[in-house]
Amino acid sequence: MPRILALSGSPSPTIRTEAVLTHLVGRLRAQAHRVALTPVRELPPGPLLSADTAHPDIAAVAGAVGASDGIIVASPVYKAAYSGLLKSLLDLLPQYAFDGKIVLPLATGGSLAHVLAIDYALRPVLQSLGAEHVTSGHFLLDRHIRVTGHGVSLDPEAEAPLRSAVDGFSVALHRRARLAVAS
Amino acid sequence: MKPLTLAVVSAGLTEPSSTRMLADRLAGAVTGALADDRQVEVTVVELRELAVDIANNLVTGFPGPRLGAALEAVTSADGLIAVTPIFTASYSGLFKSFFDVLDNKALAGKPVAIAATGGTARHSLALEHALRPMFAYLRAVVVPTAVFAAPEDWASQDADSLAARIDRAAGELAQLLTGHTAAAEESDVVVPFEEQLAAVRRGG
Repeated sequence: MPRILALSGSPSPTIRTEAVLTHLVGRLRAQAHRVALTPVRELPPGPLLSADTAHPDIAAVAGAVGASDGIIVASPVYKAAYSGLLKSLLDLLPQYAFDGKIVLPLATGGSLAHVLAIDYALRPVLQSLGAEHVTSGHFLLDRHIRVTGHGVSLDPEAEAPLRSAVDGFSVALHRRARLAVAS
Repeated sequence: MKPLTLAVVSAGLTEPSSTRMLADRLAGAVTGALADDRQVEVTVVELRELAVDIANNLVTGFPGPRLGAALEAVTSADGLIAVTPIFTASYSGLFKSFFDVLDNKALAGKPVAIAATGGTARHSLALEHALRPMFAYLRAVVVPTAVFAAPEDWASQDADSLAARIDRAAGELAQLLTGHTAAAEESDVVVPFEEQLAAVRRGG
């Protein structure tokens, strides 16, 4: 069963990035993946922003990244790029931490004007971490995400393309797992 | 005349750090370039010391007093020098987090010089592909020369050496700060329109 780690770069638990990730975790589990969710904001802020890789919590996340087959990297768009919080975690990983992994980039933002932040800002960083395959990402408009008592409800306009991005990632992971068994 | 204020943001993680060294060299070069003209007051913001305040601000939405003072120094300065180490082909998370908590309008129209340090020259273009777009979003006026310093640059004596690039970037920032540009100085010699017209008639 492929293992997936979902990293959320959102600074607030009520922000939509994380609600959407929680929603996707359910979908991916139903597709026979083992999924864990790590919100970067729950890591100790001092060690995180001063690049203390020896801190046990940070080392645990680096270990979880190493043990995963797939990584979801999700961030709100701030100043036309991924959040500084997300980047501070990526800075602490080994240079080729995503070597051999399949990565799904996701972003949320207030305006369609920032859709390209995924491909122009986030994708080069994921690539530089050595990702084997960065699948088609998806950008979600804040206004298409409604956080409800039970989770999240997405505008039908946003639901279908998000599903297609997530399912593409899921298929790539299963395909890779089959190849690994065959070889 | 009132001194010009220059804020210097350095995101180096060690003490001492090459990032801070580059920031100080740039600040010194700007002060030197303006020595005959204006006094410059330099305020250095060491992000390493503000790491926990920045993380708290991301979560709570409010800066503490120390971070508040740093944000105010950057917002009220006449010019800014911003220097970051390059990690995974981009600015550091600490550097980006500081600008994440800065108001969207704080740098509008402000002259800014950008610089970075890295373990190898392979990542020089991170300045053009990561830093410049972020400052463009913030509507800052970024000088054309961005300065990247790899370890071997510090000792190099080439014509296009680190020292020359620092001087060029500092000169560009100094010109923006005082409002003189090389182009404006050249156009001080104004040829009256009648004279130009006469020259055309003469076939000159």
